[in-house]
Amino acid sequence: MTALDRPRRERVAPIYAALRPRRVEAGILAMVAIVVVVAYVLASLGRTSSIPVDFGPFLAWMLALGVVAHVAVRRLAPGADPVILPMALLLNGLGYVMIARLAEHVPGGSDLAGLQATWTAVGMAGFIVTLALIRPVRMLMDYRYLLGAAGLGLLLLPFVPGVGREIRGARIWASLGPINLQPGEFAKIALAGFFAAYLVDARDLLRNRVEIRDLVPIGIAWVGSLGVMVFQRDLGSSLLFFTVFIVLLWVASERTMALVLGLGLFMVGAVISWSQFTHVQQRVDIWLDPWADARGTGFQIVEASFALADGGLTGTGLGQGEPDRIPIVETDFIFAAIGEELGLAGTTAVLMAFLVLIGSGLRIALRATRPFDKLFAVGLTTLLGVQAFIIMGGVLRVVPLTGITLPFVSYGGSSLIANYVLLALLLRLSHDQRVARDEAGA
Amino acid sequence: MNRRIRRLGLAFAVLYLLLFVQLNRVQFFGAERLQEHSINSRGLIREFGQERGAIVSADGVVIARSVEIGEPVDYRREYPEGELYAHIAGYQSLNVEATGLERIYNDELAGVTVEQQFRSIMDLFSDRDTTATLHLTIRDDVQRAARDALGDRRGSVVVLDPRTGAVIAMWTWPSFDPNLLADPDGSVANAAYEAYLDDSSDPLLAKAYRELFFPGSTFKLVTAAAGVESGTIGAFAPEFPVSDAYDPIPAGAPIQNFAGSSCGGDLVEILRVSCNTAFAEMGAEWVGPEQMVETAELFGFNQTPPIDLPNAATSRFPTEYGVRLADVDFYSGADDVILANGAVDIYEDSARLAQTSIGQNDVAATPLQMAMIAAAIANDGQIMVPHVVHELTASDGTSYGTTEAQMWRQAIRPSSADVLRAAMVEVAVNGTARNMVVDGLLVGGKTGTAQLGTDPPNSHAWVVGFAGTGDGVLELAIAVIVEAQEGASEQTGGAVAAPIARAVIEAYFDEENG
Repeated sequence: MTALDRPRRERVAPIYAALRPRRVEAGILAMVAIVVVVAYVLASLGRTSSIPVDFGPFLAWMLALGVVAHVAVRRLAPGADPVILPMALLLNGLGYVMIARLAEHVPGGSDLAGLQATWTAVGMAGFIVTLALIRPVRMLMDYRYLLGAAGLGLLLLPFVPGVGREIRGARIWASLGPINLQPGEFAKIALAGFFAAYLVDARDLLRNRVEIRDLVPIGIAWVGSLGVMVFQRDLGSSLLFFTVFIVLLWVASERTMALVLGLGLFMVGAVISWSQFTHVQQRVDIWLDPWADARGTGFQIVEASFALADGGLTGTGLGQGEPDRIPIVETDFIFAAIGEELGLAGTTAVLMAFLVLIGSGLRIALRATRPFDKLFAVGLTTLLGVQAFIIMGGVLRVVPLTGITLPFVSYGGSSLIANYVLLALLLRLSHDQRVARDEAGA
Repeated sequence: MNRRIRRLGLAFAVLYLLLFVQLNRVQFFGAERLQEHSINSRGLIREFGQERGAIVSADGVVIARSVEIGEPVDYRREYPEGELYAHIAGYQSLNVEATGLERIYNDELAGVTVEQQFRSIMDLFSDRDTTATLHLTIRDDVQRAARDALGDRRGSVVVLDPRTGAVIAMWTWPSFDPNLLADPDGSVANAAYEAYLDDSSDPLLAKAYRELFFPGSTFKLVTAAAGVESGTIGAFAPEFPVSDAYDPIPAGAPIQNFAGSSCGGDLVEILRVSCNTAFAEMGAEWVGPEQMVETAELFGFNQTPPIDLPNAATSRFPTEYGVRLADVDFYSGADDVILANGAVDIYEDSARLAQTSIGQNDVAATPLQMAMIAAAIANDGQIMVPHVVHELTASDGTSYGTTEAQMWRQAIRPSSADVLRAAMVEVAVNGTARNMVVDGLLVGGKTGTAQLGTDPPNSHAWVVGFAGTGDGVLELAIAVIVEAQEGASEQTGGAVAAPIARAVIEAYFDEENG
């Protein structure tokens, strides 16, 4: 690596300087490991009143995961931001503890903990492969149309006969043998890459004057998002795609007009879908007044608020609450489960972890020198931050509820793998940026 | 672009601040409101579905226990004896507030008292079952005997240990099946509850300690006690005139004896035959309102008994009898009008006092209250605190403590109790309570027939009394009421209630000797 060979402004040895973020990361990871292991022990004590029998294997798995990820980053992206990986592992670990604790109590959930552990391992593999293959990230610019096509293809995969599956009313699943995946989770990353690359090209045009021709992409994104919502009945993803695109357009064009236009189109889309689709109307009605039908349509959100209320400031204690009363608690409503058993302290910790991730992501974007790196970092960070906001806000009734996973925390293989890939890309960008800075400072 | 990215960061900060504010609203500021929301069954189910300690009779019969069912709640409450202990153990229900011991000892049964929690902290990594088992003073064999003897007649039986206040048996019919109300299916429980509520015989009410009845002649024990305490009445003096009617002074409807008979004589004699005319005169003209009210209240009237069961009724003795006639100008000088036969002055409402002295007018008592009167006489005038819980034990068998025998009040002097005890033995041996005598036992009693109406004839049949093995120790005090039932002919305490008392006394001493 050229970066390591160059002389530094700092007086310390080059290799040492480059690895300093990793030493910080190792320290934070150690703390995260302790927190998660203690949480797991507490949760198990709450349910079964003894030290969990699988305590050893879990400890080993947890530590191995942290060590493998850390070593991979140390070797593949030594200059990357030191807090991103530990925050993701903290969220992943807390989520795992909740899922393991819920496993016996949700319908058909006995395997959830093992599956989530497996998915995390697969996600980690995806993380390492991404770190190893995508360097530097800007190489993706060369594949921009491939990314766009892949994103679109993945989105459409659930409609391919024999592959697509509809679960819980949402046609967002694709079956590969015995495994069900949500290709949309991967599509969002590919599309973010495509948007970023496309907007780098169009940036100069957009900044000067806007012609009708330049509005075509935004129109396509809008129609595409509506399509996702209409045909897949996936409100959350639809909102996510559109938001990311508008944010990128706004950052790239540096024109407030993009935001105004985006907001306007969003309003039009919202009104149209509200007036046309009963399931959208229902979501809005529940959002406005879940108590109107608290035993029926509002049940989930009402139970979630009861769970959060039971949690109070410090929670009932892990394994001591009854979050399994909330339907689909292991995915969409895991935030409420954390709120019940860990209280306001726990939910605030989750909020902080996401804020740290967002802050780190945007810092990478700020420090990046190349437009594509900047835009891609913004896109990835926005994906993560908005997705977390949509589902937490949905659970808390800040926004209408749309079924979507809480990144790293919820149960779900596709979401975990995709978010670890996203994380690897952010770390790679961070490393690239540091290398570039070091070169500049040389 | 950096300016936009910084603004984006600001936007995220605002969005997440919004989440944080909402979290505070839901989890902190609005948490209590949400927890107490009418459709929030979390607290209820949490408590309902938890394992609770058992309730066990003195002779080891399981009255209530938790059975693990898993769905829809972890545990359900089972009452193997059904209606037999329904009014004591009560029930824990998803639909309605718990009652009985399930309510009073809720925290102990659930294992959430400070002491229980402290113990569980001490052995954190071993057994975490903190629930307590309630060991009652109730003897299953006596409780069963009470139920069998009363049969399908409405009424109550209360058996106390006069020395400790321990409740040996407490039975009321009609009763109910607590298993229905404890059903984990709320709709089953609700239907059962509604049906019981609609039942005019009010099976949910533990009448033994929660319903007031006219005590009738059993109340003469209190009048007699007041007389003896006042010093004006002895066992054999004064003698009350033999008469078939008492004309109250200053004025009022004459009081007659049962079936129009004539009676009179000393205290033992008038108690033996339950002489209305003599006791009316005694209360109104020999004891007077102050002493009557004082003694009645010392026996527990107008006080709520400190029993370890919820919502005990307060027995009632009227306290207002107007002004002393001697203080009223109108009557001054008219000596022939206000002169009492006995030792006290006449009051405006002395005619009412004549009625209350024989347990009529507005006197009302629970069967528990009447049993406590008998217990006080048996126990040298002391009323012990009545209780049904003897001991609480932890899951490992160690004790959380036992109920100490404790005096509630000294109703009368021991010497007065001696006089009444002897008189009650005479009533049982040669008087109206003959039917409660058990061979080989020392038994004393007093019957009562509280007339509610004559057309059709209608009355509560009472008996109160005590029994012992004869060596001076009286182990048992009892009160029995067979409630008036519409259409039933007039029933007397001696004929109807006394045989029930005898059966219960036999059951008590059978077991003790066998």
